[in-house]
Amino acid sequence: MHDEARPPLILSGPFAWKEVAVLGAMGVLLAVGLVAYAQQLTTGLGVTGLNTPAYWGLYIVNFVFFIGLSAGGIIVASLVHAFGIREFRSVARIAELMAISCLVLAMMFILLDLGRPDRMLFLLRHGRPQSPLVWDVTVVNSYLLIGLTYAYFGMRADLVRAAASPSRRRWLHRILTLGYTDLSPRALARDHRLLRALAVVGLFAAVALHTVTAWILGLVKARPGWHGAIIAPLFIVSATVSGVALLLVSVVFCRRVLGLPLEPRAVRGLGTLLTATIPILGYFLFAELLTVMYAGEPAAMQVFNEMMFGRYAPVFWGNLVLGLLVPLAILGATLLDVSRRIAVPAVLLSSAALAAGAAALGLRVPGVEGAPGYVLIWAVIAAPVLVVLLAPMGTETRLGVAGALVVLGVLAERWNIVIPPLIGHAHLPYPRGFYAPSGTELALVLGVYAVGGLLFAFSARFLPLVEHE
Amino acid sequence: MPLWGMVIDLDRCTGCQACAFACMAENNVPAVGPAEAAQGRRIAWMQILDGSSGHGPDGFIPRPCFHCDDAPCTHVCPVDATNRTPEGLIAQVYTRCIGCRYCMVACPFDAKFFNWRRYRMATLEPNPDVSIRPKGVVEKCTFCHHRLQRARERARTERREMAADEYRPACMETCPTGAIVFGDLSDARSEVARLAHDPRAFRFGEELGTEPKVTYLSRVRRHA
Repeated sequence: MHDEARPPLILSGPFAWKEVAVLGAMGVLLAVGLVAYAQQLTTGLGVTGLNTPAYWGLYIVNFVFFIGLSAGGIIVASLVHAFGIREFRSVARIAELMAISCLVLAMMFILLDLGRPDRMLFLLRHGRPQSPLVWDVTVVNSYLLIGLTYAYFGMRADLVRAAASPSRRRWLHRILTLGYTDLSPRALARDHRLLRALAVVGLFAAVALHTVTAWILGLVKARPGWHGAIIAPLFIVSATVSGVALLLVSVVFCRRVLGLPLEPRAVRGLGTLLTATIPILGYFLFAELLTVMYAGEPAAMQVFNEMMFGRYAPVFWGNLVLGLLVPLAILGATLLDVSRRIAVPAVLLSSAALAAGAAALGLRVPGVEGAPGYVLIWAVIAAPVLVVLLAPMGTETRLGVAGALVVLGVLAERWNIVIPPLIGHAHLPYPRGFYAPSGTELALVLGVYAVGGLLFAFSARFLPLVEHE
Repeated sequence: MPLWGMVIDLDRCTGCQACAFACMAENNVPAVGPAEAAQGRRIAWMQILDGSSGHGPDGFIPRPCFHCDDAPCTHVCPVDATNRTPEGLIAQVYTRCIGCRYCMVACPFDAKFFNWRRYRMATLEPNPDVSIRPKGVVEKCTFCHHRLQRARERARTERREMAADEYRPACMETCPTGAIVFGDLSDARSEVARLAHDPRAFRFGEELGTEPKVTYLSRVRRHA
């Protein structure tokens, strides 16, 4: 429970130069993104790399990605209030904030993808309940409402205290309390009960959110690679993995750059949670891959060949190695405090075994024949693990790097889910197309990322983000 | 109530593309220009596919919208911008479409097209019966729906029933070898219904259960 005498933790004092640099970079990205958006609005979606049959591209990839990150954030926040896992208490508000920001970003990506954004409200006025897209609009908006309510009740007491403090920014906190002032033990206990109930609702909403998003793709029978039952559970797992990973990165960033007093055990706890969930994601991916490859149905095989051995093969293998295997090794070695004397030979041996496995399966690196190819595979797996384990950085930074790799890996996985099924297979004899994002498209995506960064940075500055134990 | 459908005889098709050009002129279909075409953004309501490149029969395959009787594109549309008319035509409402392209993704036959930019029309004189699409919306073959409306209006002013053969899409009218037959599938005596049950008849994507209303005829086929 809160100690009433203690003031809420809000950063004060001038911005550190590191903070100013980060904010400045975000501002520049946002400005470039706005110019790109003006271009897209006037010229049309032709400024992107989209085409027939790549009807959807980087915007939808990012939409799915951010929905996942959002769901992951709420799942961690719920662990604290619904199940009373105190280890994550100090990071629960950051998780909520992350969930809300990521959801806003996901909505922005949907808006970017519409050919007629001026008709966006048709989704409400003329929405057809049979369309998975309308289900998603419903669940995304409900989820945003739940998230905002949750954040409000979670932070209300601290906001009231902040509004009463002599801080220069107390006006902002007074507005955010929505006029509430009660700090009596009864009121605090009621907030606590409400929070617990909301956490349970939020958990269900998070599952619904990502399930429905998966169904946008999974219910389309025209596209092998999407159509199937595993896509919804797979999305739940990858949402959890990516959400926990991004939270880990944010927490490490807040501790090391902003100096927020978050508990170190939360960092370790998030690392452990991530280590436990990555293998589950690997299991789901393997289950899907084996089912498709063993059956060898031509349509699905075309999609998987495009994904694994086609022009996007680097995205697939990059995700597998740098987004799953390497971070798992880093997390395992760091959390178990494996000494270098054991870690180095273990990494070298196990990656050699993987390279040998690739040789046994007949996998080849295009352009590099024979033994050098397998040495290359060995090096690509072993080198990043060893670099991170041997480089002079603290345990936390190491965990943060692993988290960042996982986040990028899940982004790559979203690409693998969305793009290859669009261009890998056609039911009629079309020449199949290709998709590469255009510069304008990339600028817009980075601009939206910058909005996310700014949302996070300003909230970290002005809101009581750390809950007292 | 008629159920409009089409039969395309691949044994008669010479791949001359007359149907494709007639369609462009009739429906104000834009010519996107070489740069956009190279990006894979051609708009072709009626498109001649090269069957020798893989599955399907060898030779040319003219592909209009199949006007599937259980059309996946109409299921997924969030705003009812694409729907099935009572006579089985799959329509696109350009004033309603929000440009999400979900219907394009859901169409197994890639028969829908997007206005990535504001394109210029292929012909100098637009057909006043067909609306010109703005940028940002999806468009598709309508089986020349405006011709149905025209024929029906003419019959009404002349106080008589419209005969099925008064409604003929531009592609069918133009085909020099008579490879395209159009008509009322619900009338068992019509030529189109008879040909749809020809021993040479097959439909694409049968395994998907979308019930296309465009049937193909081919003596030889490797795989339908």
